[in-house]
Amino acid sequence: MDPRHDPHESPETRRPETHRGPEPLRHPDTDRPESPETGSGGWVAPGSTSGTLDSSGPGTPSSGSYAPFEGESHRWPTTPAPPGAPTFAEPAGLAAPTEPGEETPRSWWGEDPTGQGSPFGTETAHRLSPRTLVVGPIIQIRGLLLPIAAGLVVGGFNPWILTATLLAVLGLLVRGFVTWKTFRYEIGEERLEIRSGLIRRSRRTIPLERVRGVDVTSSLLHRLLGVAVVRIEAASGAGETEDGKLDAVDAAEAERLRTVLLHRKAVLSGRREEATTVGEDGVASLTTASAGTDASGAVTASDEAAVTYFRMPRSWYLFGALSVGHLVTPFVLLATLFGMVQQSAGQVATDFLVDWVTSTDRGFLVVFAAVSTGVLVLLMPVFAVVSYALTHWGFTLRGRDGSLVAERGLFTRRSVTLERRRIRGYELRDNPLERTRRAVRLRAIVTGLGDTANRAVLLPLGPRPKVEAVVDRALDLFRGRLTRHPRAALYRRFTRAVLPFVVVAAVALYLDLIWLTVASGALALLGVPLAVDRYRSLGHGYDGERVSVRSGSLQRGQATVERSAVIGWTWTQTLFQRRSGLADLQVTVGAGAGGYTAQDASLEESVDFAGRITPEMVRPFLSEDQDPHQDTT
Amino acid sequence: MAFGALFNLALLSAAAWALGDFAWGWVPTWVHENAWVLPSVYVAYALLKIAIVPSWRYRVHRWEVDEDVIYTRSGWISRAWQLVPVNRLQTVDHTQGWLERIFDVATLQVRTASYAGSSTIEGLDAEEARRLSEELAVRAGTLRDDAT
Repeated sequence: MDPRHDPHESPETRRPETHRGPEPLRHPDTDRPESPETGSGGWVAPGSTSGTLDSSGPGTPSSGSYAPFEGESHRWPTTPAPPGAPTFAEPAGLAAPTEPGEETPRSWWGEDPTGQGSPFGTETAHRLSPRTLVVGPIIQIRGLLLPIAAGLVVGGFNPWILTATLLAVLGLLVRGFVTWKTFRYEIGEERLEIRSGLIRRSRRTIPLERVRGVDVTSSLLHRLLGVAVVRIEAASGAGETEDGKLDAVDAAEAERLRTVLLHRKAVLSGRREEATTVGEDGVASLTTASAGTDASGAVTASDEAAVTYFRMPRSWYLFGALSVGHLVTPFVLLATLFGMVQQSAGQVATDFLVDWVTSTDRGFLVVFAAVSTGVLVLLMPVFAVVSYALTHWGFTLRGRDGSLVAERGLFTRRSVTLERRRIRGYELRDNPLERTRRAVRLRAIVTGLGDTANRAVLLPLGPRPKVEAVVDRALDLFRGRLTRHPRAALYRRFTRAVLPFVVVAAVALYLDLIWLTVASGALALLGVPLAVDRYRSLGHGYDGERVSVRSGSLQRGQATVERSAVIGWTWTQTLFQRRSGLADLQVTVGAGAGGYTAQDASLEESVDFAGRITPEMVRPFLSEDQDPHQDTT
Repeated sequence: MAFGALFNLALLSAAAWALGDFAWGWVPTWVHENAWVLPSVYVAYALLKIAIVPSWRYRVHRWEVDEDVIYTRSGWISRAWQLVPVNRLQTVDHTQGWLERIFDVATLQVRTASYAGSSTIEGLDAEEARRLSEELAVRAGTLRDDAT
């Protein structure tokens, strides 16, 4: 076994028992002064290498990360805390503040031996990958790199700036080290527990049954070093979510965590081999993915249970040109560039620019501006496709025992796992631009999932028939037809989209404000097609198993949820709606946005609709005097 | 509601007073002269509202607890009907503000797993609210299924 592994883990679990004394239980809180360099921590057995940067070589961590399975053998050597345990408090310059901390941890960790000794026997505590020590500071420094470089260049390698820079870098390194040292996570039979913090300890327990999804993200740097960031999302209470973030663990460990967290039963029943093989596959998929072009090798090598629903065809990258967010990339790039120049060499650059503008010929300037704008506009789609391809490269959607796994990205590879039993339905969204190419995007409606804009994405933007085919295989496609909403809904759309501008135009005309009249008149005219389109997109339907509701124009969305996911109905009716017998019907769902509204449906028809879907919920109230149906008749 | 109206009135009056008193240059004269129109209109509106709305609301608000479903109707000009199945309930909150305690009424709020699916019954008789909340909690416990 890995020599590192044992010393690192065992004392951790053992700690509570060994440290009953006045001794602090966490090394960082020891106020025994020691040199920082020996800082391998109080619980690290004497034999272990000191956990400084050198030990972060790529060799050691991977073996350490496989510890969970070895960990099941309850290796709890009764190593007493190494005498004279070195401390981290010193290097971090935190010796003084740790003193109060010394009091708390005792009681804190004191409850461990009884509380966790037994349930947490399945696996012992794990650390993050030592390679975090490399990745973390680099990522943090990356943000500072430019200002630092600029400062150095502009400041003429001023010793003050040099020292400050060095200190900052050192601080980052130390912080990364301390984080790594203090961070522990372990998966018990029922819970995942994450402990971290030097001064401010935090200990987060996430019941495994509450785990809703596991995200694995790895940037290029992470992938080079073979690590990944794992984010575990759990629901807590009514709809709120909380995250457990492991930044970063080995790629293989990440894969294993994903498997273990989502299928703890398999783990508990001792199917270790399988879990391990899956883990190895994870490595394979990550490495092949890093090759960039084709992840298929990993897919075929993957276990039998995996089904690939979708792999991005090349032509789909072109849809990036339809995505507004990606269309503006040239401008964003330009702005960033500008900001960078400004930041690094502000005065010089401005002077130069002013000089240049004043000294060059006017006509040339105009032509130059026009041409560069034109080029930018022409480049927009190109940039859009490129940046879209970067983020969506090799998009795959796979089904693996009870979960859907969506993976994407060229440099930063992101993989999101959604448990199937948490998926209540799906949502198809498009905007007018996308509708011209009949393209839609697909999102899952998942219980207790935060950041749905990123995490619930099941497919990239693609042609509707293909997307529907994937939905049909991966989930269940809504096959019913949508009922149109009454004509009165159209009039209401018109009132909303056109009337305000007409009123403004009339007032402006009265006040003799010509430009305002023209502007609002134009807007009113534009409102006409908008209103018609918004009306046409309205609809709701039920196909015997799924309820579907559609609305919107500039951002049209059709949400489809299973019948069993409907946990209530709400009708709302304004005074105006009452006159025309309309009502908004909201389908309450314990997932996604929480509710999806069929706007301006006919009240009677919508009551009937709800009654067909959940008769047990609606029927009892239909014949009584308070029922909405009767109210309007 | 009356308190809300008083607060708004105070706010509006303060604004009007400020407008009338400090002759800021950038404010047109006709605004100075009519500074108090808005507060007075608001007083009339608030009085009317206080006189009418509660009884109106009282006439509209209904609730009913069937075996499996809670049904509420609320609103005055705009109305809302809400159906919440008991077996999907997650929490039943029974609250009583200081004003509510004076009048011995209570508010019952039932929540489901949805962000949008809570339903409130205001102005229940306190005793009744307590009984109902306990009953609902018990029944939700027995009927409970996956709740999401």
